[in-house]
Amino acid sequence: MITRRNFMRQSLQAAVGTTLLTPAFNACTSEHIITGKVIGPNAALGHRLRDMKFESPTQSKSTDVLIVGGGVAALSAARVLKQNNVSFHLLELGTEAGGNSVAGKNHVTAYPWGAHYLPLPNHNDPELIAFLKEAGVIIGEANGLPVFQDYYLCFDPKERLYINNFWQDSLLPHEGISLAEREEIDRFTTLMHEYKIMKGRDGKDAFTIPIAMSSQDDVFLALDKISMHTFLIQHDFHSEALHWYVDYCCADDFGATSRDVSAWAGIHYFASRKGRAANASDDTLLTWPEGNNFLVKKLQAYCQDEIETNALVYGITIKDDGVEVLFFDAKENRTVSYHARQVILATPQYINNRIFPQGKTVSQSFQYAPWMIANITIGSSLSERKGEQIAWDNVIFGSQSLGYVNASHQYVGIATAEKVLTYYYPLTGSDTTSERRRAYERGYDDWKEIILKDLSKAHPNIAKEITNIDIWIWGHGMIRPAPGLIWGQEIREVAASVDQKIFKAHSDLSGISIFEEAFYQGHQAAKLCLKHRP
Amino acid sequence: MKNSGDKAGSFQWLLLISVFIVATCGLIYELVAGTLASYLLGDSVTQFSTIIGTYLFAMGIGSYLSRFLNNNLLTWFITIELLVGMVGGFSAGILFILFEQIVYFRVILYSLVMATGILVGLELPLLMRILKDRVEFGDLVSKIFTFDYIGALFASLLFPLILIPYFGLLRTSFFFGFLNVVVAWIVAYRLKKDIKHYSSLKWSAIICLLCLGMGFVLSDKLTEFSESLTYPDKIVYTKSSPYQRIVITKSAIDWRLFLNGNLQFSSADEYRYHEALIHPGMSVIKNPKNVLVLGGGDGMAVREILKYPSVDSILLVDLDEAVTKLFRSNTALMSLNSHALLSSKLKVVNQDAFVWIRQQHKKFDFIVMDFPDPSNYSLGKLYSTTFYHEVKKILNPNGQLVIQSTSPFVARKSFWIINETLQHIGFLTKPYHCFVPSFGEWGFVLATNSNETHDAKLPRNLKFVSRETLPQLFVFPPDMDRVESSYNTLNNQVLVNTFEKEWADYTR
Ligand SMILES: Cc1cc2nc3c(=O)[nH]c(=O)nc-3n(C[C@H](O)[C@H](O)[C@H](O)COP(=O)(O)OP(=O)(O)OC[C@H]3O[C@@H](n4cnc5c(N)ncnc54)[C@H](O)[C@@H]3O)c2cc1C
Repeated sequence: MITRRNFMRQSLQAAVGTTLLTPAFNACTSEHIITGKVIGPNAALGHRLRDMKFESPTQSKSTDVLIVGGGVAALSAARVLKQNNVSFHLLELGTEAGGNSVAGKNHVTAYPWGAHYLPLPNHNDPELIAFLKEAGVIIGEANGLPVFQDYYLCFDPKERLYINNFWQDSLLPHEGISLAEREEIDRFTTLMHEYKIMKGRDGKDAFTIPIAMSSQDDVFLALDKISMHTFLIQHDFHSEALHWYVDYCCADDFGATSRDVSAWAGIHYFASRKGRAANASDDTLLTWPEGNNFLVKKLQAYCQDEIETNALVYGITIKDDGVEVLFFDAKENRTVSYHARQVILATPQYINNRIFPQGKTVSQSFQYAPWMIANITIGSSLSERKGEQIAWDNVIFGSQSLGYVNASHQYVGIATAEKVLTYYYPLTGSDTTSERRRAYERGYDDWKEIILKDLSKAHPNIAKEITNIDIWIWGHGMIRPAPGLIWGQEIREVAASVDQKIFKAHSDLSGISIFEEAFYQGHQAAKLCLKHRP
Repeated sequence: MKNSGDKAGSFQWLLLISVFIVATCGLIYELVAGTLASYLLGDSVTQFSTIIGTYLFAMGIGSYLSRFLNNNLLTWFITIELLVGMVGGFSAGILFILFEQIVYFRVILYSLVMATGILVGLELPLLMRILKDRVEFGDLVSKIFTFDYIGALFASLLFPLILIPYFGLLRTSFFFGFLNVVVAWIVAYRLKKDIKHYSSLKWSAIICLLCLGMGFVLSDKLTEFSESLTYPDKIVYTKSSPYQRIVITKSAIDWRLFLNGNLQFSSADEYRYHEALIHPGMSVIKNPKNVLVLGGGDGMAVREILKYPSVDSILLVDLDEAVTKLFRSNTALMSLNSHALLSSKLKVVNQDAFVWIRQQHKKFDFIVMDFPDPSNYSLGKLYSTTFYHEVKKILNPNGQLVIQSTSPFVARKSFWIINETLQHIGFLTKPYHCFVPSFGEWGFVLATNSNETHDAKLPRNLKFVSRETLPQLFVFPPDMDRVESSYNTLNNQVLVNTFEKEWADYTR
């Protein structure tokens, strides 16, 4: 009985034939409407920094410490200040705190507009472990390893890759890949594993998170001078599938291809994550429907009363008795002058160039990759190709996009057809300025077309299954660790505090943009600030 | 001279290509019928050999019959091509819809095979007679047969390697029917001056092409339509809820409930399943009062629970309102569960069990988990350490928990994974099993927090569980006995992966 029925179903549902004729057939049926728009961010307010036309302040306030910016780095600093009973105030340009880790929500689920996961944390940063315990992410210890809250560990199946007309499990290409290429891929993963356990002559891990705790051994620092692409060629890696995979990984964390990031950063992606859990395998990650906004909300809980949103800081000047900070209060449409004894500057350096010209400004070596994020609502059951079922991370081989994350994946109940897919599209061209212009110039319909064309490869009827697409453009999404950035002189000079009054905290000062680095930058700045209290 | 020679050459090529296509189509129909028969009726050796035999024999009849066709050979040939296209093209669809629908399925099957065979058998002899006066006969016969056999080889390779995996049976047969008709049309067009009724043939061809094209495009719809026809007995109720398709069938001896095509119970032997589900656990609890049933919206488990007078409240949590409503309102079905769902002791909550349980604090003496088998990742979550942790929190210290745990015979590893998962989070377990004829060997795991034991106090008038049979349920013969296994978590889903493999192996 079962044999027959299953057989019938499978043989009847074989998909290839459908795709030849269904589009034509569907064209005859009723027109399907997809709603949506470009949601954010509110570029207009930020762009006022270009012409700097602000009226003189009509009000003045003062505080002990002022935090400028409200991203992860800022909130991490706020947590430390709070725990040390320092009074402070925080100014954030957006309508809510979170920066690149904000999220949205609709009738189906919450979903991220930026960061969506945290790998199991390394044990080098006790502050991060402490915070994860406070946040209920780590709930105990067993066999000397942290026990994580089950609901936050990414459920199985974790990932799948659409390649050669088939959804394979794992993102490492193997389906329809030649033996020689697979051997090369194996050689690569073995090499990366060696780097993962390697230590420098100073006894430190060759690659770790926070980056600042990595070994200073010249052997490894030399890798920061060449590109990841050059590294691959030097090591005789030529497989097209492997190059795609490495490019995919570089785009994932840096928004760039292997040609535009240093080999040190590229290897860091594979070799720095050493976190372990008592109740999950090493490669498991932590994720939530709303992505890292979950962690943002937990951080915000420390400073609910101190956060002021819709506040654009446009001028910072060091004075004898502290710092003067001017900001535009968009809610009240007025400018305010803040006097603070110390300032934690948790904004990216391209912004600091404008709002704090007194400080050390950065050169062209600080490049930021633009990103387009789409949250796609699926209304009826998603058409699938052969192979694995939908996973948390779903990637299409050879695509310019990074594929999509199923925001409904961590839902514990019985899955229904409705879901939200968060689609990631980095603009990885070498020239970030023209890529940024292109990202802004494309209209909603252009983006929609790009998305539909890409996803239709793996989901033949998706255009009819989507009910809504909302889009977010990040002009300066992530710092790109180009060769020479992470271990160069400039980044150190920029990161230095000024006059013991201004302390800098932003993930771009680590040279890579990830939650752990933002978090680390934040509490380090706060601790320096505490040390130099007047 | 030269000109007409060229013409004859290209004409000959046209015919040879037609022979090639016609031969390919012919063999494809034969393979489709053989494959369908062996999957639907089982025993592939017998099916294939009888189908091939019948088919070849029918071709012989066709060849024989061809001599009785004398006038208008061309028109005959084209008409036959159109017929082959239609009969062959629709055969898979017809067979599929009729299977399990009618008693004389075999009669239909072999009639269709005969019809296709006869028509295909007519093709070549007719063609040769048409050609006899048109082209130099010379080596034509050998050429025709060469192309005929190449076509056969081509088809036999194409069928298993490309057509079945990528097209599926239905589309394959529609597609080749389409090709057949196209060939007929092209030949007719080339020779239209020799044909009396070209225009009527043309229109017939167009209509055939439209029908076959529609069939091809609508294959999926056909699947949906005929899916409900794949039940052995008469369907008395169907409904699609947001979560599943509910089907109830009735035969002379029983009622059956199917959810998404999977049998949930047969009224003839469900008492075995439900008595085994409830009584081994329930009977060893001292004065059970509060009972929780997760899943089990058909009310059969509740019926068994109500046999304990000490019970004063039962909570039934079932995702699908459509199921609980049905078993609370349909008279025939209510007599199956003895009106259990109308009991004043019962409260029904229609919510997702996992979502629901995360907000619970109230404790229960007995908890029943009667979920569908872990056949997909959503269901697999209900068999995870995380879910069992939540259940453990709301189980009284002396309470019992029972879980339907699939077949320890078919899915032996899966069964023991469930046991291991419960043990991993600190439950003491007692696995057991029973035989339910409509299901086969079925397994359950009883789990508790305490090793205190009580004598079983069974209700009277049970039909399956008794003082004598009860201890036997806990004995596992070697072929179902415990195997080393890992435990199932949300982030490894080993159970679903194992379960899928075991059932696939069993039903292959
Ligand atoms: C698309 C995308 C996906 C990502 N995915 C991941 C991921 O999965 N995992 C991960 O770990 N990381 C991810 N990241 C990296 C992410 O950037 C970091 O995790 C982290 O959120 C960075 O925090 P931050 O505080 O350093 O910077 P930001 O988030 O940039 O914070 C800076 C804040 O300053 C505010 N600001 C700027 N100018 C002014 C001004 N003039 N006045 C007042 N306020 C101002 C901004 O609004 C912003 O809130 C992703 C980034 C992007 C863009």
